[in-house]
Amino acid sequence: MAEYARTALYDDHLAFGARMVPFGGFEMPVSYAGILREHDAVRHRAGIFDLSHMAQYHLSGPGVGAWADALTANDVATMKPGQARYNIFTNDAGGCHDDVLFYRLDENRYLLVVNAGNAAKMWPYLVARADGHRDVKLSSGHGSRALVAVQGPRSVEIVAPLVDADISVMKYYTCVETQVCGVSAIVARTGYTGEDGYELFVDGDAASEVWRNLFERGARYGIEPCGLGARDVLRLEAGMPLYGHELDETISPVAGGQRWAVKTHKPAFPGRDAIVAELEADTYDRIVGIVLQGRVPAREGYAVYSGDERVGTVRSGSMAPSVENKNIATALVTKAASAIGCSLDVEVRGTRHAATVVALPFYKRPTL
Amino acid sequence: MAQPAGLLYSKEHEWLKVDGDTATVGITDYAQNSLGDIVFVELPRVGAEIKQHANIGVVESVKAVSDLFTPAGGEVVEINAALEADPALVNRDAFGEGWLYKIKISGTSMPDALLGPDDYEKLVAEAH
Repeated sequence: MAEYARTALYDDHLAFGARMVPFGGFEMPVSYAGILREHDAVRHRAGIFDLSHMAQYHLSGPGVGAWADALTANDVATMKPGQARYNIFTNDAGGCHDDVLFYRLDENRYLLVVNAGNAAKMWPYLVARADGHRDVKLSSGHGSRALVAVQGPRSVEIVAPLVDADISVMKYYTCVETQVCGVSAIVARTGYTGEDGYELFVDGDAASEVWRNLFERGARYGIEPCGLGARDVLRLEAGMPLYGHELDETISPVAGGQRWAVKTHKPAFPGRDAIVAELEADTYDRIVGIVLQGRVPAREGYAVYSGDERVGTVRSGSMAPSVENKNIATALVTKAASAIGCSLDVEVRGTRHAATVVALPFYKRPTL
Repeated sequence: MAQPAGLLYSKEHEWLKVDGDTATVGITDYAQNSLGDIVFVELPRVGAEIKQHANIGVVESVKAVSDLFTPAGGEVVEINAALEADPALVNRDAFGEGWLYKIKISGTSMPDALLGPDDYEKLVAEAH
């Protein structure tokens, strides 16, 4: 195996019987007991994930909000302390450098989490853009900071007793600086599974202690260690984009289904005019959700047809336990093929299989 | 873990149980475990003539599509119809209920380069 970094939890993963794969420059667990079992745990009980491969950057200074607003599609400076917000760093053509989360810790400090696979691109990009901004300071915790997520309906019962702050009252997409198992942590009510849950940002040195305590506490609720395989199925069902699939340098946030995160009222950010023009012309290819009728899974790269016309390409696909075990996919298709209810075909190994365009997300958790 | 006796094994992790001139074919327990949860199996049609080592179908897990090679050539005489509704049978019982298809072995393609249980076990041990 080539040189891959290891997270602070590497030994814990092996102890839990993980199957490790290279991802985003790290050796990461793709599954432990099996993707379907892990998926079931998150939907009905709880799952615990190591997401320490994701890059954590700390931004500080009075200028961060305005600086970040000029680089991203969504609002940053309007975030309140304690708020988390999804955002996208756009390129000049309106495509996406990366989709990220900002966590505003207080008036002058933010945590920025970027995709592991984009870190090698994003860190130099951010450093270059911050050059000359004396009121913006960046530091990278990539590789030294850890991220443990607990996701699933029992998350609050598992995590809350181990955290000093009362996290049971936290709203979705908020964060707090507190202590977990006696160590400093940022705890956020965020996730990438479509379930309730928490993400805990801690020092790598403390990660194993936190992981083991959470797992021990979660055992009575049926917690399962979960890998990237289950995470990908969970996020796809929940209609959440994955960079490199639904978004990339050539797919704009609008085409990628993230129109809501594009604040065209902002005076300037990279690609703003291109995106506004794209919206006005409204002729762009766009991401849709499709459900296949048969048992054949659609996979990334498969051709999508409307009658005899090639209209697009599958970008993500999986069997979906939370969608009646149907095969679901996202596809980048022409506007004409994008209407809800549209009948399409996906070509799998030379044979066409019927599919229907459906509204995203495929799965929404039952509301309390 | 010992591999079941009485079977022949390919380096592509298929097993073959010969009974006269017909053979039952499946994938090994090691293979199903490596693939993870199997969600779809595509098999050749009954009546199809297949050549030894040919790519004749796929086994799909949640995350991956894996080609299926045939360890012996011949005519497909039966496929495991239960796998259409329940492909996870392969996970639960790879050497039994999760068999894939049966072929009538053609005289010229009797399996030669296949392994016995002990040699296959060595192959699997080396893969770790």
